[in-house]
Amino acid sequence: MQTKIIFENVGGRTIDFFTAIYEAWQLVIDSIKALPHIWFYRRQVTEQIYVFLVKTLPIAAVISIFVGLGAMIQGTYQSSALIPRTYVINVIFKSTIIELCPIILSLILAGKLGASLAAELGSMKISEQVEALETMSLDPVGFLIMPRILAGMIMLPIIIIFANFLAMFSVFFIASIATDWISPKEFLSGMQMNYRAFEFYFGNLIKPAVNGFFIALVGSYFGMRTHGGALGVGRAATNAVVVSAILIVFFDYYLARLLL
Amino acid sequence: MIEVRELSKNYNGMPVLNGIDLDINDNETLVILGPSGQGKTVFIKSLVRLIEPDSGTIRYDGIDVLTLPKRKFIAIQKKIAFVFQDNALFDFLNVKENLSLYLRMHSKLSEKEIFKEVLRAIEFVRMNEEVLDKYPEELSGGMMKRIAIARAIIQQPCYMFYDEPTTGLDEANVEMVVELIHKFKKRVCKFEKRVCATVVIVTHDIHLMHAVSDRVVLLKEGKIVFVGKKEEISEESLHRLYDTGVRDDL
Ligand SMILES: Nc1ncnc2c1ncn2[C@@H]1O[C@H](COP(=O)(O)OP(=O)(O)OP(=O)(O)O)[C@@H](O)[C@H]1O
Ligand SMILES: [Mg+2]
Repeated sequence: MQTKIIFENVGGRTIDFFTAIYEAWQLVIDSIKALPHIWFYRRQVTEQIYVFLVKTLPIAAVISIFVGLGAMIQGTYQSSALIPRTYVINVIFKSTIIELCPIILSLILAGKLGASLAAELGSMKISEQVEALETMSLDPVGFLIMPRILAGMIMLPIIIIFANFLAMFSVFFIASIATDWISPKEFLSGMQMNYRAFEFYFGNLIKPAVNGFFIALVGSYFGMRTHGGALGVGRAATNAVVVSAILIVFFDYYLARLLL
Repeated sequence: MIEVRELSKNYNGMPVLNGIDLDINDNETLVILGPSGQGKTVFIKSLVRLIEPDSGTIRYDGIDVLTLPKRKFIAIQKKIAFVFQDNALFDFLNVKENLSLYLRMHSKLSEKEIFKEVLRAIEFVRMNEEVLDKYPEELSGGMMKRIAIARAIIQQPCYMFYDEPTTGLDEANVEMVVELIHKFKKRVCKFEKRVCATVVIVTHDIHLMHAVSDRVVLLKEGKIVFVGKKEEISEESLHRLYDTGVRDDL
């Protein structure tokens, strides 16, 4: 009897899981189908890009500065006197801009943007606003979702490049200007060591675009399937954050294995 | 003309619409009356394809819309306006933007012309310009309903659908809604010189039914139990419709 219940439970959840993937995939297809109408929905796209900037810029600035400084403290503290300081800077530089900054910011924005997106669409859904769009001959995917996914994919790389600049500048400021730990010249040569362009495209363009895509897609998905009143909106927001965070850390690992 | 045949919809195995047959004539005001929970909202939303029914057909002027791909349905959808039970105003847009959205997306009017249309609509629902900068959350229930009606008429629809337009409003606002429903027809016929102005209303408000209907449909448990003129409805059939099983003699 017990085992039967367990099997039913597991079976039900497995089916739910695959249904969810299928539905999310449908959302992607519908968004791609809405792409040719991008000129029709241009206002919504520019608006979302603007909203994205306003919502993320301040938090990205604060976080990136301290991520950079944290990495610097650890790097300088862990390295012995035998390791040349240019090498230490190189390690700090690469680990910060390829891994630390992108993933920490992506996770934070998954919380901030993903939750607000799911709550926003969720409350529209339960108050019939999504249906109102349809009766006004506007496609909810084209009007609401495609612009958000696009904004996520375009803006996350830009935010992360900006954050990386800030992070490295703050490291430079502390290590070379405020203290005399390393000369500016050595600092620069440390950054240039072992330079591989693809790593930077990977960390600053590919990964953030993928993360931006997941944040917007998952937020939209949970928002659009919201039901059950205000409680449902809260649930949608929580689910969006958890699922997009898991996807981000998984693809952070998987893409690195695949591409680097 | 809208022809509905054999329309059925189940939720969780429970029939909500149970084989509905109905013809809605052009230019009539049809009131679908039924107590709460009888599938009125499901029915009216099915008519405009917000809900996909399980079986049956719906024809607008002979075109079967349920088999039409969504893309092709848009031509018909543009003739439809819908006033939701809870208004469904976009709460991220102020009143002006709520009213402008349709024209901005679907017409080639300039900003100035759009604004003129918005003013006309606001005047139509007897409100003044001050309301334009407000957000829906700052409006009272009666004001929201009027804005929702304004947002619908700005689409210049041929078919106007109302889901419970008077629920939750006080008497003054109910009278206002009644007036607006009449005015819509007059405006369409007189000023816009168009011929089509079909109004479909679902409600449980008997007063509203008496005030506006050309024809009445009584809906009970997902079935039509009466179609005809309001004068033909007997006291008894209304009584039976609203019979809740609570006995007065207790
Ligand atoms: N999405 C849904 N899932 C499950 N059941 C539903 C759903 N929508 C409606 N129902 C059921 O269908 C029935 C009719 O609902 P509907 O909203 O059409 O009633 P109504 O006549 O509009 O009532 P009211 O006057 O209260 O608005 C109800 O019993 C409701 O439980
Ligand atoms: Mg209803």
